[in-house]
Amino acid sequence: MDNQTKKVLILGGGIAGLTAAWELSRQNISVELVEKSCFLGGHAIGFTCKATDKCQQCGACSVEDMLKNVVNEPLINVHLRTEIKELKKSAKFNITLTKSDIELPDSQIKNLPSGKAAKGFSKYNNPLYVTDSDKDKMGSSCQITADAVIVATGYSPFDPNRKSTYGYGKWKNVITGLDLENIIRENGSLVRPSDGQKPQKVAFIQCVGSRDERLGNLWCSEVCCPYAMRMAGTVKHDNPNADITMFYIDIQNSGKEFPVFYEKIKQNIRFVRTIPVDIYPLENDGLELRHMAEEEGSPSSESFDLVVLSVGIMPGKDSGKLSEITGIPVNQDGFLDNEISCCPCSSSAKSTQASQPSTSSQSASSIAGLFVAGTAKGPAGIAASMADAGKTAFEAMKYLGVIK
Amino acid sequence: MTTDKCTNVIEKCIDLKGSENCDDANMVDISISKDVLVIGAGSFGLEAAGKIAAQGYSVSVIGVKTACARQSGCSSEMLETGKVNIMQDVAIDSLAGVTGDFRAVLIKTAGNGTGCNETGCSEKVEKVFGAIVVAPQYSYSPLNKKYGLTLNDKVVSQSQFEAMLGDSESQKKILNSNNGNGSTVAFLTGFAQEGDPTLTSRVLTSALAVQNMENCNAYIYAGNVKVGAKGLERLFTQGRHAGVVCFKPSQMPTIEQTSTVEQDGNCDHKQVSETIKITIKDPVVRTDVELTPDYIVVEEALVVGQQNLDIASTLRIDADLYGFLPSNNVHRFPAKSNRDGIFVVNNSADAANTALKLKELIGNGIKKVAANKAKVDEDRCVICLTCYRSCPHGAIFWQNGAAAISQVACQGCGICASECPMDAIQIGDFTDDSLRTSIKDAVVSAKDNQKDGQPLIVAFCCKNSAFEACEAATQFGHEMPQGFRMVKVPCAGKVDVEFIMKAFVEGADGVMVAACHEGNCKAERGNIYAKWRVNEIQKRLEKMGLEKNRLIFTTIASNMAKEFAGKVNAFAAAIQ
Ligand SMILES: Cc1cc2nc3c(=O)[nH]c(=O)nc-3n(C[C@H](O)[C@H](O)[C@H](O)COP(=O)(O)OP(=O)(O)OC[C@H]3O[C@@H](n4cnc5c(N)ncnc54)[C@H](O)[C@@H]3O)c2cc1C
Ligand code: SF4
Ligand code: SF4
Ligand code: SF4
Ligand code: SF4
Repeated sequence: MDNQTKKVLILGGGIAGLTAAWELSRQNISVELVEKSCFLGGHAIGFTCKATDKCQQCGACSVEDMLKNVVNEPLINVHLRTEIKELKKSAKFNITLTKSDIELPDSQIKNLPSGKAAKGFSKYNNPLYVTDSDKDKMGSSCQITADAVIVATGYSPFDPNRKSTYGYGKWKNVITGLDLENIIRENGSLVRPSDGQKPQKVAFIQCVGSRDERLGNLWCSEVCCPYAMRMAGTVKHDNPNADITMFYIDIQNSGKEFPVFYEKIKQNIRFVRTIPVDIYPLENDGLELRHMAEEEGSPSSESFDLVVLSVGIMPGKDSGKLSEITGIPVNQDGFLDNEISCCPCSSSAKSTQASQPSTSSQSASSIAGLFVAGTAKGPAGIAASMADAGKTAFEAMKYLGVIK
Repeated sequence: MTTDKCTNVIEKCIDLKGSENCDDANMVDISISKDVLVIGAGSFGLEAAGKIAAQGYSVSVIGVKTACARQSGCSSEMLETGKVNIMQDVAIDSLAGVTGDFRAVLIKTAGNGTGCNETGCSEKVEKVFGAIVVAPQYSYSPLNKKYGLTLNDKVVSQSQFEAMLGDSESQKKILNSNNGNGSTVAFLTGFAQEGDPTLTSRVLTSALAVQNMENCNAYIYAGNVKVGAKGLERLFTQGRHAGVVCFKPSQMPTIEQTSTVEQDGNCDHKQVSETIKITIKDPVVRTDVELTPDYIVVEEALVVGQQNLDIASTLRIDADLYGFLPSNNVHRFPAKSNRDGIFVVNNSADAANTALKLKELIGNGIKKVAANKAKVDEDRCVICLTCYRSCPHGAIFWQNGAAAISQVACQGCGICASECPMDAIQIGDFTDDSLRTSIKDAVVSAKDNQKDGQPLIVAFCCKNSAFEACEAATQFGHEMPQGFRMVKVPCAGKVDVEFIMKAFVEGADGVMVAACHEGNCKAERGNIYAKWRVNEIQKRLEKMGLEKNRLIFTTIASNMAKEFAGKVNAFAAAIQ
């Protein structure tokens, strides 16, 4: 069979979509990569390097690498600022694409001599800058047929406004982990939003939005302990006098060699096992944070120059809409879930992992040829999203008969 | 330090060397064996084997105990294709050759992991493989000693307890522990080691099972509850709702295990009664909380084992600090090792990714590769082995009485070329001559643009990191001194002493060697070689009475444009 005639549509140009596209193109399959925003790379293309005296294996630079691969690959055709409107399955998938009406992200708007424009994070973002009028010209409205579809539309970070007692948006120096990633990336080091100075006392609040029964978010986002600890390490490396506290419930592992990493970070950062209640503004843009630390036994408060909310991974804003368009079910947490609970044969492949509760309730209704990759189906870091995208590409190719 | 605008600066990061040449004329066809060796016959090894065989390659699986023998992991799909040859009790004895043409010596083991027993050693067979997949098989070991506990029928490991839960006789015992009044079971996790979600998932599953047994109660003592995997927070919540109590003391609980032996006249009939008491300090109430459970379930550690270490050293692939494969380097994830053509499979996603990468590598058995990634001048080579030892990708072999480089395995990093005492190796895209020209051009071009009073800086930039950051800094218009120029190198490990000195001789005021962060080098150790060389030259400069701070070594990631500009500006300010 001539692979050249096979075509896969991928929704979402984050690290999962990029990786899936790249792996498919390696096997001579052509790809239509549809990205809703004006820039490829998803959340992770704006992340900062978290190296101290050593690389901390955060994976941010591998996103840069993958973007470079993809933009130089002729088999991958990119549609920026485009969304899916309709999907019909006959022998193939018939897809209607439409221009997205997404606005330019506030956080990326820069004042250039030529006017205001949203700035890409990577040199491989093409274009590098997008103005409002450029934006209106971008996007594809067309019909496409594809042999398979991979949905890699990612996640939405938890909206910190839902935790109103933390005053995000009200107090300038309360920021999210995502803001922190972008600030260090753009400045080369951490500066406070209110005055552009390096903060001395920094607090991280973990599990903001995740592991929260009251919100019904019964999952750990997996990435926020690693990113918070790594960034805390970076901040401390850059400014050894910085005094950093992390408020937490449980610390999750960051990957390989975690015990040594954790031991080292514990020497540099104070860990307090409690989740703060609220935050009040102080003079000089300082912040007062109230908590019930177990060790203290009674309510206490402490002041900080900057507070970072470690927001977690929530289902992508579009997952409901995408579920309607594609027919892929969402699981009880709201993530897209197309896991085909296939044949009895899989029961023989018993892993060392103890049986885990199945989260997908409607998997039987899944449509052949439709796949989900990356954080669209649940929390994962960059490395895990890449591995999952590779695996998904493998499954898609198997479905296409390109591989067996 | 100021410059006007990006337009003037744009030239700075232009790759002075020119692009990499991969037009067809420079390509060669190399044949790659379509046989694949899978080391490790656990379920993931077999899953990988099945997926690889399905691509039409012939797979040999070796391992001491195969998952097939344990009646799990052999999919019918795999056996049907007939392309998987499972060789029980076979190990790898040695490995020579390179990617596409590995020569593995296999040996029948005597069940003890080595080829020998009292009666002698078994025969060795050499086989050729295009690629190798390692699927490490780890074992678990209980950590009772760290808690000061002795295992017995009341104090058990997690695996033992799982077995008990699966066995109806033992279940009855648990149910009837206190004269039919059920049992209290305490799980200890995360004090003797950090633990991980896989272990947590086992603890939570067992605890919930206990809690659901009549009159039974489960307590979990945890350092950190590792819920960072799919479904675990939900499981944890479910357990708590069912009544599982979880304590998270800041320190390892104090545990007393006292056994009293009662002799009852009959010598064979010892009555051992044991009490176990766990004490923690409750942080809120600030009093001691005591529990005397009927069973204690102790956490287990994943053990690498000598066998895996031997495999890694035989294959010459790097492990992480703890001996787990592969090394801790983002560029290896998923499934790659430092040697192209040797893969590591630790889970199901790795198996699929490996199958894809293998298909890309082996294809139909013929691979087109650049012909001149790196070349040895046979007449110069004195077989000193330096290149063989220093090549991070295991790309060097021996041919016609000289070193030879596999064009498949070579990544063109140039470390061997810089280390070779005879200067016998040249890198295709970065020959010594072309690098000398680049240095000269860089200085000339910097002089032309340099502003009065500003230093002339030459930065050797690794193409994987600093070069990318430098180009991005230029494109985004981050200000850098006008007299700054960079020279692109394939890896900082290719920055020879000679090149650094040449930059100074040509007229640079400052020289910067910019590499990947330690642990992020695609050539594993290129940055470390570069750092050594810079240190050496700094010493030399000092001896010559020159300022050693005119030469610096720095590390940077490819995505950090602003940080790169900051480093250049700081360097310029320092040497001005
Ligand atoms: C604050 C923070 C810090 C983190 N730091 C790290 C870290 O240091 N290391 C790490 O490994 N992981 C980190 N993570 C996790 C990391 O962000 C994810 O693993 C990764 O971004 C997942 O990639 P993805 O492609 O699945 O999703 P995304 O990055 O969300 O990409 C999805 C893409 O799909 C597009 N899209 C969305 N909807 C549509 C639609 N309807 N149609 C078309 N396109 C659409 C989006 O615009 C986006 O480009 C962090 C997460 C957070 C919240
Ligand atoms: S810390 Fe992250 S971005 Fe920096 S080098 Fe390491 S993996 Fe790359
Ligand atoms: S990774 Fe850490 S911060 Fe994030 S949800 Fe899990 S426990 Fe909370
Ligand atoms: S380092 Fe040079 S001289 Fe030594 S074996 Fe290699 S090519 Fe030959
Ligand atoms: S250039 Fe690098 S990869 Fe190639 S043979 Fe030399 S050391 Fe090995």
